[in-house]
Amino acid sequence: MSYALSAMLLLTTLSPPLVYIVGRRSNKAAAGVLCAILAADAFLLLTTLPTVAAGDSYTESYYWIPILGSIFTLFVDGTSLSLSIVTLALMIAATVFSTRYLESEGNNASYYAFLGFLAVGLVGVFVTSCLLAFYFFWELMLIPSYFIIAKWGYSDAHRVAFKFFIFTHAGAVLVILGIGATFMTTNTLDMLQAGTLLLGVPDETVRLILIFFTIGFAVKMAIVPLHMWLPDAHSEAPAPMSALLSGVIIEAGGYAIFRISMRMVYPAVAGTWYGTDFLHALTLLGVFSAYYGALNALASEDIKRIIAYSSISHMGYALFGLSLLSTSTVAGSGALLHLVNHAVSKGLFFLTAGSVMRGTGVRDVRRLGGLASKMPVTAVCSAIAAFSIAGTPGFACFMSEFLMLIGGFQSANLDSFDLIPSALMVVATVLCAAYALRLFWKVFLEKLQVEKAREAPVAMLAPMIILAGLVILLGVWPRLFLDLIVAGK
Amino acid sequence: MPTVLELLMPTAILAGAGVAIALLTPLIERAPGRERLLTALVAAPFLASLVSIINLGRSYYSQQSPFLNVSIAGQPYLASSSSFLVDAMSIYMVVVYLFLGFISCIYGALYMGRHRFSPMYCALALTTVGFLIAGTFSGDLLTLFIFWEIATTASYGLIVFEKKPESLEACLKFLIMIVLGSGLIVYGLSIVYGLTGSLNFWAVRSALIAEPDKRMLITAFTFIASGYAIEAAIVPFHMWLPDVYTASPASTSALMSAVMDQASYYVLIRVLIYILTPPAVVNWVQALAVFSVITMTTGNLFALVQDNVKRMISYVCIADIGYNLIAITSVTPLGVEGNLFFFLTGGSMTALSFMCIGLLNRMGFETLEDLSGIGSTSLRTALPLTIVALSFSGIPPLAGFIAKYMIFTAAIEANMWWLAVIGVVNSVIETGYFLRLIHVMFFRTPKKDVKTQPQVNLLIPIYALVVELIVLGACPSAALALISPAARQIPIP
Repeated sequence: MSYALSAMLLLTTLSPPLVYIVGRRSNKAAAGVLCAILAADAFLLLTTLPTVAAGDSYTESYYWIPILGSIFTLFVDGTSLSLSIVTLALMIAATVFSTRYLESEGNNASYYAFLGFLAVGLVGVFVTSCLLAFYFFWELMLIPSYFIIAKWGYSDAHRVAFKFFIFTHAGAVLVILGIGATFMTTNTLDMLQAGTLLLGVPDETVRLILIFFTIGFAVKMAIVPLHMWLPDAHSEAPAPMSALLSGVIIEAGGYAIFRISMRMVYPAVAGTWYGTDFLHALTLLGVFSAYYGALNALASEDIKRIIAYSSISHMGYALFGLSLLSTSTVAGSGALLHLVNHAVSKGLFFLTAGSVMRGTGVRDVRRLGGLASKMPVTAVCSAIAAFSIAGTPGFACFMSEFLMLIGGFQSANLDSFDLIPSALMVVATVLCAAYALRLFWKVFLEKLQVEKAREAPVAMLAPMIILAGLVILLGVWPRLFLDLIVAGK
Repeated sequence: MPTVLELLMPTAILAGAGVAIALLTPLIERAPGRERLLTALVAAPFLASLVSIINLGRSYYSQQSPFLNVSIAGQPYLASSSSFLVDAMSIYMVVVYLFLGFISCIYGALYMGRHRFSPMYCALALTTVGFLIAGTFSGDLLTLFIFWEIATTASYGLIVFEKKPESLEACLKFLIMIVLGSGLIVYGLSIVYGLTGSLNFWAVRSALIAEPDKRMLITAFTFIASGYAIEAAIVPFHMWLPDVYTASPASTSALMSAVMDQASYYVLIRVLIYILTPPAVVNWVQALAVFSVITMTTGNLFALVQDNVKRMISYVCIADIGYNLIAITSVTPLGVEGNLFFFLTGGSMTALSFMCIGLLNRMGFETLEDLSGIGSTSLRTALPLTIVALSFSGIPPLAGFIAKYMIFTAAIEANMWWLAVIGVVNSVIETGYFLRLIHVMFFRTPKKDVKTQPQVNLLIPIYALVVELIVLGACPSAALALISPAARQIPIP
């Protein structure tokens, strides 16, 4: 037995105080320490790669609260490994980006300490299979996010942060009901064991459990009509935090729907009318979110709000793909791959938006334009992000969207209901392309309006360039994560 | 087999120390460094009674039977003699009282230290805790009643200690309500005695099960339960609580919410689960569930609209009673475990918040507005208040989360989904106003200057409780090890 995952969590848990102490002297040092810790985390995670790539899952268990049936089990398979690696990469990028982005705020030791807290929650969510520990990490994401949005956000940040907290916390308490009910009926809190044990549980209870979990996670994933918190929170947070919110936190919702709703609970109702209706409802919600997000993004004028609505749209895609998991493996893998690809692309997109806002002080796209000449590197990175979000071949999101759409038609063979939603999803990609390219066009091309615009410093450009490289890499070599995800099945 | 003397040892030590301190008041007041002396005098009896409890626990756990009945008189007079009951639950409760009482009394000694007659205050506090311990060990309804009354009487002195007009009014309200409650209890007891010829828990219970016509007994227990509902401040019997907790000195509110409140829920558990076990004896579950909903909703909604922070926390105490009732209602081992865990964490949380507020009151802050920007001007007072707010909201990894999780799960286990859902909704409301508190403390510009920084020694008990909340949240097994034997006694044979 090895200790890679527990060592990783322990190291991350120790990071906030350490970062805070170092950060009292200098922001750069705090960011440096945090990045070093995150990089060490990534290294520790990658030690599990050989096991995971072979198709096994890697686990460590410790006794925690035996009386509640809770064994603290750390677990990675291909999906969770891919997502946690991407999370760490994005966190490092956001941390480096913050050093210059938040320069004007003075000493930000507590900001980096909160990022450290956030890292514990974000990584923890992906690497545990104990429901109670999962919930611990799930809620741990919330506190630092709240403080970061409220303290370092833009106008009216407190109200936005409050809304964010209450919405997602309300979702989380539904999750706790689901966890309680699962424990009650199966006497275990292990996701993998509970999946088997739930098969023998009466239908009515399983239905309730399924609904509680799914609604709870859908709030975090910002599925319409539970999305109200997202446009505000993502657009008012500081850019690096938006990158993490859109890049990782809502992906965690998608991951939870995959791991808990679909993998753990759904099999117990599979084949009944209820199970079928449930999947159809998810499919429709996915389609609806995709359209709702895309249309709102087209109608918005605020650079960050456009990107925020685009996140709703893309989570709609992911939900669509996840809902087809049981009828088409292709769509399911596509959805999980989309979580990874979207994380990188959207993270990059938000960072470029942050760079534009810092360089010009303007966030209304009607008052921006022609920045390509003043901020060439940002422009190129933003173009790459926009192409990826638009689903252009050769960029990250294309491959996963393609897999989901193919999978949709494949599953329409088994269940004719899926045909129309799949066709609608194909049409939705046009809207995605429209708003992404509109954003790029309005901000970087057309006539130059803000004369004093200046290119971002290297510390902000470097993370953007690296993420842009990653977007292209994932676009031309999707197998990088796809193999892992497929191996984890 | 422990003797009566061994059982009452902690009470004797605490009450005896109280009397000694009270008698030595003039000397202690003139002593140099009187706060420190007082703290030591308060701490010593707590440690001594902890030792005696550990001894008692040893002899309890070394024998097989889950219940240890000790009575003063021998066999022929057993039914009418005062008797005591030691089981895992009462031992756990006494440990909780000692722990929370220790911390709140130390805070009280430091907080009231410079006040005139402060040794008297400490003496009353020690007496309150001491007699609650005796009440917890009691094995018949009359003994329970007597010790409970002594403890309440001592607490009157704690409430009016500062002799402010509003505290006098609050105390009068408390007095009238408690006397009314006592009257109801005594009336109920007289009926029970007339019908069963005994007030012993086990005798009453077996008589109740055997009795074919339960109407008279139900009447009697309605009186008893209403009486204890007043003491536990279940809505609509709660009117005294917000006034008392707001008007009394912060250290009193801390002590009462940490120890007296928990003791009154303990009594409810004893009476409801151990004597009136549903469905064998009387089926009170649905009725209590309704009270639970009313209590937590009232508490949370009133807390939501309060402007005075101390009053807000008082209403949170009421909401906590509602959560506790959810667990009592479930009548499951997990519910009792959740209850017992909540006694410790809920008591610590309310005590901690009252302690922080006491500190802030000393700095001249009363309302929510006053607290604006405390996070930047005096972080060390804002930090514990933030942590306790997050714990109240049920955010892991703090102890409040584990307690709420166990309680809601217990409701689900008892197949009362609706109750769990209402509880969860309430929990969200609670998060709402606590988040507003955090928001005000950290994200508003300071309205008032901080003229005096807080007394540093008062921060010691506060941070002790903060550490406790974090440790219990991350590793609840520490407390659950003591709790689970108590839960294994359910259902009662």
